Amino acid sequence: MPKYTLHYFDMRGLGELCRQIFALAEVDFEDKRYDMEKEWPAFKSQTPFRQLPVLEVDGKFIPQLYAHCRMLATEHGFAGKTPFDAAWVDAIADQHKDFYWGDFKKFWWRALDAAEGDLVHEELKTKFGIPERDKFFPLIEKQLTETGTGFLVGDSVTWADLLISEHVSVIVRVVPGFLDAFPETKKHAEKIRTIPQIAKWIERRPVTAH
Amino acid sequence: KLTYFDGRGRGEVARQLFHLSGVPFEDNRIPMAEWPAHKASMPFGKMPLLEVNGKPLPQSYAIFRYLAREFGFVGDSPFAAAWVDAVADQFKDYFDEIKSLLFVHFGFAQGDKEKMMKDVAIPARDKFFPMLEKIAKDNHNNGHFVGASLTWVDLLIAEHVSVLLKYMPGFLNDYPTVLSTVKKINSIPKLKEWIDKRPDSTF
Repeated sequence: MPKYTLHYFDMRGLGELCRQIFALAEVDFEDKRYDMEKEWPAFKSQTPFRQLPVLEVDGKFIPQLYAHCRMLATEHGFAGKTPFDAAWVDAIADQHKDFYWGDFKKFWWRALDAAEGDLVHEELKTKFGIPERDKFFPLIEKQLTETGTGFLVGDSVTWADLLISEHVSVIVRVVPGFLDAFPETKKHAEKIRTIPQIAKWIERRPVTAH
Repeated sequence: KLTYFDGRGRGEVARQLFHLSGVPFEDNRIPMAEWPAHKASMPFGKMPLLEVNGKPLPQSYAIFRYLAREFGFVGDSPFAAAWVDAVADQFKDYFDEIKSLLFVHFGFAQGDKEKMMKDVAIPARDKFFPMLEKIAKDNHNNGHFVGASLTWVDLLIAEHVSVLLKYMPGFLNDYPTVLSTVKKINSIPKLKEWIDKRPDSTF
């Protein structure tokens, strides 16, 4: 087994997907967390693309979270059972990336820290949050309805299930009621988090704001 | 069957993979005016769409990676394949920053080209291309961005650099290894053959 180190900040954020794949596969890894102010600047120039997360495998770096997550998931059987299924896992992940980093971001990043009665938050929700939600989550509902297996692709858990369920679980907590029109999506997130290895990880992972 | 606009854009790498492998495919090109009628039938409302024995697959990079795997252009080890994916995703982030200027060049949008060059394109280039230059150099300037044989990220970057050379000459003068890598990629016989005979388009 290679020696794995995940380098990321002390938060769930973009590092959580990789950690959950390790948990699901029951593979040991060093969960290295960098203080953004005190430790990251010194490490930054050592990373291939000056960004985190970076996965280190036997001393060699792989940047870009989808790249190293896909590699890990593929090795341990969580990337779809056929090449076509694997491609659909990739497609769902990329569609989520487009959604998450597009206009939805303008609402979401405010929502994560919004206080009660935050009027800018409400304005951003109407302008960006709701329209973008209503373009993306129908696709997830449709996908879950079509597979009928409780998983997004095929009949077993893939890294797309981990990616979507983690984000959905945060949305449900931070903006209650926001996904009420997407029952299959909510059910899916709850179910994925009851997978024993995932539930165990959620139980013991460091508690961080994001 | 590949369905996309009648242009290179986000479909071209898939076409190139088919031509390089010699596998026949239906190159289904949708005129702009007809696109709205097709949109609803696309799983994610977008193109390109690949159909494999009638089964649809959306999302350009998912399509490219699927075809690259089938045809042997994905990298010669899981670690190499991960680096191909990483360079491609880093390129995607850069492209998202520069695309607004490219769309003006392609005629899809209005904009002040000079202002956008200064505010958008140069900062985006200066973040990404030094890293890409280093990657090409570290790969021994062997004509590929990752490993020792052609991968889909070579095609992805070569196509984009060709666009930059056409609309913004001199833009990449500080990145000679990138330029020489792209030149080598574009002279691969089967690829050159396709490039010479493919339909013309602004994008």
